[in-house]
Amino acid sequence: MEPVHSSYAADPDMLEIVREFALELPGRADALERLLASGSLAELSVLAHQLKGAGGGYGYAPVSELAGALERALREGRPRPEIEQRTHELSKLLRAVVAPELP
Amino acid sequence: MNPEVPNPNRLLVIDDSEAIHRLVEARLRPDGLQVRGELDPARGIDRAIDEGPDLILLDIGLPGIDGFEVCRRLKEHAVTRHIPIIFLTGTSDIDAKVRGLDLGAVDFVTKPFDQIELRARVRAALRTKRLQDMLEQQSFLDGLTGLWNRAFLDKRLEVELNVARRYGRPLSLALADIDRFKQLNDSHGHLFGDVVLQGIADGFRTYARGSDIVARYGGEEFAILLTDTDAVAAAQVTERLRVSAEIRSFELNGRGVSVTASFGVVCSDDIEGEPTSERVLSAADRALYASKDAGRNCIHLSERGQNVKLRPDHPALRGTSEG
Repeated sequence: MEPVHSSYAADPDMLEIVREFALELPGRADALERLLASGSLAELSVLAHQLKGAGGGYGYAPVSELAGALERALREGRPRPEIEQRTHELSKLLRAVVAPELP
Repeated sequence: MNPEVPNPNRLLVIDDSEAIHRLVEARLRPDGLQVRGELDPARGIDRAIDEGPDLILLDIGLPGIDGFEVCRRLKEHAVTRHIPIIFLTGTSDIDAKVRGLDLGAVDFVTKPFDQIELRARVRAALRTKRLQDMLEQQSFLDGLTGLWNRAFLDKRLEVELNVARRYGRPLSLALADIDRFKQLNDSHGHLFGDVVLQGIADGFRTYARGSDIVARYGGEEFAILLTDTDAVAAAQVTERLRVSAEIRSFELNGRGVSVTASFGVVCSDDIEGEPTSERVLSAADRALYASKDAGRNCIHLSERGQNVKLRPDHPALRGTSEG
């Protein structure tokens, strides 16, 4: 997967918090997989909801899109294979995010 | 403490994601706003009551108590009822928006939010809050003198007595009445009377300390609330106010007219029994009347029911009035 960069990486007001957010994402990807494996779908939905709300605000619009799709699929009670696929897509995306370097 | 133009700038964000708190803070700090975040809805309500922020950004999808319920509770509580609320929502669901607005929210921002939109909506909400604060302040201001009015002083006296009791600190109150004001009004007209009231008010405002609350209490009566002040310090401040009236000259038909005022002062430590606002006001009032009876242009201190005239050789005044 191509590396994913924040559209705000060049904004000096944002750089520090974007970096902090991005560095947390691999941990979030682990959490997604863990919640999926243990069948904790309610918690999975909360995490997807949070990622959807925050991602775009930090300049990672695709994070909001995929997290939103996962949250919707969970809410609509879609079949297990679809939930698994969407969770994997999202966690793969989170791992592809590149934290901007501090100057 | 003089009335100031309100500048609402304190925000409380109630959202279960810390990433949102940081984002809102980074986006709004450049606009001079103070942003505080709370993850838990119940604690968010408590903080709103304790801190009285100027604007609340409230997430709808909160764990436990949802945002609608938080909004309903905030609108029920007297302290938080008038704080504007902007909902942060993950959906553009119309039903959710209508429900939120019906509960009293002023606006919506859809997450993930665009920073320009967020800032514009927050600015708009704070503009309205500022007007609301100004209206509230207007209702506590005296139109003629620009001092606080009686309603404000009564409210603050109540609050400050509680604070004084809690911290074991003294609080003093001075009442002032312009001498022979009715005669002045009758012989020189009400317009001149207004000029005198404004001039005396100006002197009091200038010579009181920054923390004193100066109010026009009635027609020609003023009240000065001196927080964290014992009887000796209150006597010193009041003597400065007495002199500020005495030395001021009002021009009338080309000649100068002097005006004096009489004062009654009491410290909460010198009240018999629990110092309630009624007892404090009535003790200061009796001391004021003692000053009128003693020939005006002087100060009486109320000490455990006795009214004691403040003489120039009183220890509190050494080196203040004449020196």
